[in-house]
Amino acid sequence: MNLMSSLWPYVRNHLRQYVVGIAAVWLANIAVLVGPYIIGRAINALQFRTATPLGLVGLALALVATTLLSGGLTLLVRRQITVASRQIDYEVRRDIFVNLTHLSKNYFDRASTGDLMNRLTGDLTAVREMLGFSFWQVANVLTVFLSTFVVLFAISWRMALLVLIILPIMVVVLYYLARQIDLRYVKVQEQNSRISAKAQENFSGIRVVKGYAIEDREVAEYQTMNDELIRRSMHLVRVEGPLGAFMSLLMGLAYVVILIYGGGLILGVLPGHPITLGSFTQFALSLERLSWPMLAIGQITNITQRGFSSWGRLLEVLRAKPQIHDTSHTDPSLHDLEGRIELADVSVHYGQYEALSHIHLKVEPGQTIGITGPTGSGKTTLVQLIARLIDPSSGKVLLDGHDLRTIPLKTLREHIGMVPQEPFLFSETVAQNIAFGMGGKDQPEILPGISVLHSPPPASFGTEIDLDKVRQAAQIAGLADDIAALPFGYDTMLGERGVTLSGGQRQRTALARALARNPHILILDESMSAVDTETEAKILSGLRSVMGTCTVLLIGHRVSTLRHADRILVLERGRLVEQGSHEELLALGGRYADLERKQRMASSLDQEEEASEVHS
Amino acid sequence: MTQLRPDDVFSKSFDWSLTKRVFGYLKPYRWIVTVTLIAALLIAALQPLFGLIQRAAIDRYLAPVGKVTLSNQQLYHGLLGLALLFVVLKGAEFIVRFAFSYSLEWIGQKLLYDIRSDIFGKLQRLHLAFFDRTPVGRLITRVTSDVDAINNFITNGLSSLVTSLFLIAAYATIMLSLNWRLALLSFTVLPVLYLSTTYFRNRLRDSYRETRLKQAVVNSQLNENITGMMTIQLFNREGRNQVKFDLVNRALMAAMLSTTKWFSLFLPTVQLLAQIATALVLWYAGEGILRGNGVTLGTLFAFIGWIGQLFQPIQDIANVFNNLQAAMASSERIFGVLDTEELVRDPEQPVPLESFRGQVDFEGVWFSYDPEVGPDTPERDPRWTLRGIDLHIQPGESVALVGATGAGKTSVISLLSRFYDVQRGAVKVDGTDVRSYRQRDLRKRIGVVLQDVFIFAGTIESNLRLGNAEIPLERLVQICKYVGAHDFIMQLEDGYQTEVHERGAMLSTGQKQLLAFARALVQNPDILLVLDEATSNVDTETELQIQDALAKVMHGRTSLVIAHRLSTIEHCDRIVVMRKGKVLEQGNHQDLLARGGYYAKLYHLQYESGALVGD
Repeated sequence: MNLMSSLWPYVRNHLRQYVVGIAAVWLANIAVLVGPYIIGRAINALQFRTATPLGLVGLALALVATTLLSGGLTLLVRRQITVASRQIDYEVRRDIFVNLTHLSKNYFDRASTGDLMNRLTGDLTAVREMLGFSFWQVANVLTVFLSTFVVLFAISWRMALLVLIILPIMVVVLYYLARQIDLRYVKVQEQNSRISAKAQENFSGIRVVKGYAIEDREVAEYQTMNDELIRRSMHLVRVEGPLGAFMSLLMGLAYVVILIYGGGLILGVLPGHPITLGSFTQFALSLERLSWPMLAIGQITNITQRGFSSWGRLLEVLRAKPQIHDTSHTDPSLHDLEGRIELADVSVHYGQYEALSHIHLKVEPGQTIGITGPTGSGKTTLVQLIARLIDPSSGKVLLDGHDLRTIPLKTLREHIGMVPQEPFLFSETVAQNIAFGMGGKDQPEILPGISVLHSPPPASFGTEIDLDKVRQAAQIAGLADDIAALPFGYDTMLGERGVTLSGGQRQRTALARALARNPHILILDESMSAVDTETEAKILSGLRSVMGTCTVLLIGHRVSTLRHADRILVLERGRLVEQGSHEELLALGGRYADLERKQRMASSLDQEEEASEVHS
Repeated sequence: MTQLRPDDVFSKSFDWSLTKRVFGYLKPYRWIVTVTLIAALLIAALQPLFGLIQRAAIDRYLAPVGKVTLSNQQLYHGLLGLALLFVVLKGAEFIVRFAFSYSLEWIGQKLLYDIRSDIFGKLQRLHLAFFDRTPVGRLITRVTSDVDAINNFITNGLSSLVTSLFLIAAYATIMLSLNWRLALLSFTVLPVLYLSTTYFRNRLRDSYRETRLKQAVVNSQLNENITGMMTIQLFNREGRNQVKFDLVNRALMAAMLSTTKWFSLFLPTVQLLAQIATALVLWYAGEGILRGNGVTLGTLFAFIGWIGQLFQPIQDIANVFNNLQAAMASSERIFGVLDTEELVRDPEQPVPLESFRGQVDFEGVWFSYDPEVGPDTPERDPRWTLRGIDLHIQPGESVALVGATGAGKTSVISLLSRFYDVQRGAVKVDGTDVRSYRQRDLRKRIGVVLQDVFIFAGTIESNLRLGNAEIPLERLVQICKYVGAHDFIMQLEDGYQTEVHERGAMLSTGQKQLLAFARALVQNPDILLVLDEATSNVDTETELQIQDALAKVMHGRTSLVIAHRLSTIEHCDRIVVMRKGKVLEQGNHQDLLARGGYYAKLYHLQYESGALVGD
């Protein structure tokens, strides 16, 4: 089975632990049987008055000693098998993470974060339980049954045979119960999540609920769902609640059966080799050891089944292949790039939808290109091609004359600084965020598939940050004053446990982050939309010091942003409809000129508003 | 998903008033509670009997004490009698234990149901401002894990406390009465058991907590890395972030291994203690048998069984306090919600309401979302959202509200539905203050069309009806045809019975909007409020359909529309231009254009055709 064989390399890495653990399970299960033997002997000695006080002390001490042994072995089992399962849990999580860092944009566009998180939490737990509990319990059940029956047969093969007849019935019944419990439990959980989903829906849609005055209907619906939950829970408790009592009943019945038969043997009223009370006691006490393993069989099945289907889901992530990666066509000798961009008849399709259509474009190193157009016109797609987040459906993207697909990804991206539309900042300090891509060379990657036993923890990577460079980048991005106002300056934590920046501040942090890399190609995707015009002007003048040295692609809507570009491209529905300098496009009197006129009017309206404010 | 919640921090240990309130929920079920208690008592009373039977079997028949007068055959018959009794009692025990766990679960479920209903019902009555302030996630926690914690405390904690005490009493009684010396000797292990169980439970609780904490760190890093993966790749950070993640992943593993460490010590320790107790009994009772001072083999056998069975209740009691702490913290939070004051309330004697003519009057309305702002707050305070709005709308008139973001358009609409109460002035419908009506009467007669339609999980039909079962399906279809939603509904897999839900991307924005109009018409309101959001990703055909539908629903009704489309505005009888919480100018489209004021400029800027309108 593919699922099995794909799990094997992980198990193989911890084979020694599993082997030692399983051996210990076996020995522990043998040691546990010494206790009943000692008690049986003691009873015989007491019944037939052959015991001495000193002998009794000896037996009592022997009893404690065997438990020390079996307890010690059980401890060993947990520290081998359970530990191995938790180490594999770590290894699988590590390997999936490593694989995720290689997957391309198209994967993350399709996958939902929630789903990936569920796999990495719930599914991984299920696999871990299978690797720990199932492995151990399979070994446990087998050895308990085997060793116990050896002892039972040794005491009285007739009684043992009797047990062998009733036992399978009990196992079948308990197995059936365990399966039923699992099925019904899943049903309860399903209803629980439905109820949570309902609550979520109601609370987030409370405006509509109140607006349409349907509170009563909502309450009624919620209560119906809760009624169903009660029904399902009671359905579950009918099989789960009495499980303990049922087990006790079954073991009681088994005890009575051997009491009737064994009692007859002791008293010599039934045919067969007579036995002593001590042997009978040993028999009864040994029999008790079987109760847990009988319960466990059903559980093992449930956990293993769940574990495998979870493993299947994890395997999908673990085996997912990146769409964009280095191939045999990649030329590793390419190191230095100037930034001459060329798009030769490039089209991008998403299914039926044509995001870019037959684009031709040449950009010389050091040029600044402005790009504008309505939403969905393909601006972002265009710059994503250059950063090779996506590949063209047809045509070629060239950098310094090399097809992008022949340039090593790392090398390409080393030369690019990109500020996306909605920049993503990490829950680190401001300085760490700005220095995010600095230092060029990356830490060597973590190798997947290696046992944690043979891989020492990585040295915490050098967090030394070139603060001068960070400050310089922040200065150009117009962020320096904002940082000075933060509680801990550059060391202020951002995100969940820290400060929340405004949209404009986030954009400028992302800009500083891109600038700090000294990129040869700088891509700004509407990265100043949340910044006011005044700050924008400041940033632009700062950027001018950089602009000469690198190729800049600047997506924007504000004419004030675009006008300084060497060339402005106007996109519409994936097509390049106008291009030229600010003056050329104004003279053309097309869409760009229209945009310019509207913005001029808007700013006059703003000024008027301010003026009226002064009056009122 | 495991998340780091303040719930993990137990502040309260025990609070009597909270406990009393939780117990209040048990009151309606006091008979079942009584039954459960009786069952618990019976279980406790039955349990030691099995040892007694085994003792009798040994002492009377298998290894008879003293002079034997019966034949082996007679002895065996006696044994069979005891075996029968054993089976009968086991059967009885099974029935009682079944009854116990069944009724306990029943109580737990009812409790869950009642507390949940209370919270959910309370939340339906609470004012909208409460929801503006409280994140949805926190409310979900109240109706899920907090309620579970209380349920867990009652069905696991409290019940095992009671049954454990019963059991301990029963075993102690029988053991002491049979042989108090032997009993006391075997009890010496129990305090050690209690202490070591408490010790290990605390260690385990700490390492579970540590594991949860580390899991939360791992999860938040995972979440962040998955969301920001493109940034990581663009900045060549794969290696460094792998290392960073590896460190927290290892920390999680270490925390889990520490749990394993304590657990692997815990169970063998308990086993060892149990065996020490057995050894003590064996030694002491054995000596007694040898000396012949009345101790029998049966007593020895029974004691070995009983002392082992005493272990479980002792361990359970040691565990009760963990449950208790969690339940206290949860009930405190739950009652916090239940005790929140409802700020928008129905009047004692509401004005009866059949339908509205549709006259709407805003009279000197001052409003702020800030709860601190009162009627006496000075007018220049920046927290005012509406500053003295006077607006009078005649029955059947349609009014478009126009203005920049933050002008107060949405507030005007929210006040008419009485989502909030005004601080000064009054909002009147048909000449009566909205605060004099029952909220639901008022809102039943006022239809709201939010164009970002909220879809409830259910069918298209149930989303149109919104619980009103009286409307015939033909009418629904008729309305959908009228607004132009019928065609696309019929193209769905199951037509009107197609299952939809909020997160389902099955319906396009335009389709959702048409559905919203249909929904409003189905309710047949007297006054219509429309939030007409600007939508960019709708194709021209749908756009025309929406415009058409809007005109249809507004027809003949008092309508108040927050307008973004020129076509919408042109359909309205009157245009009200708002700015910074005040009415700036009003009139019809032509008049306002002719005046050349703020509206005229706004119009030229936003509504004149052009492909490059900023998005």
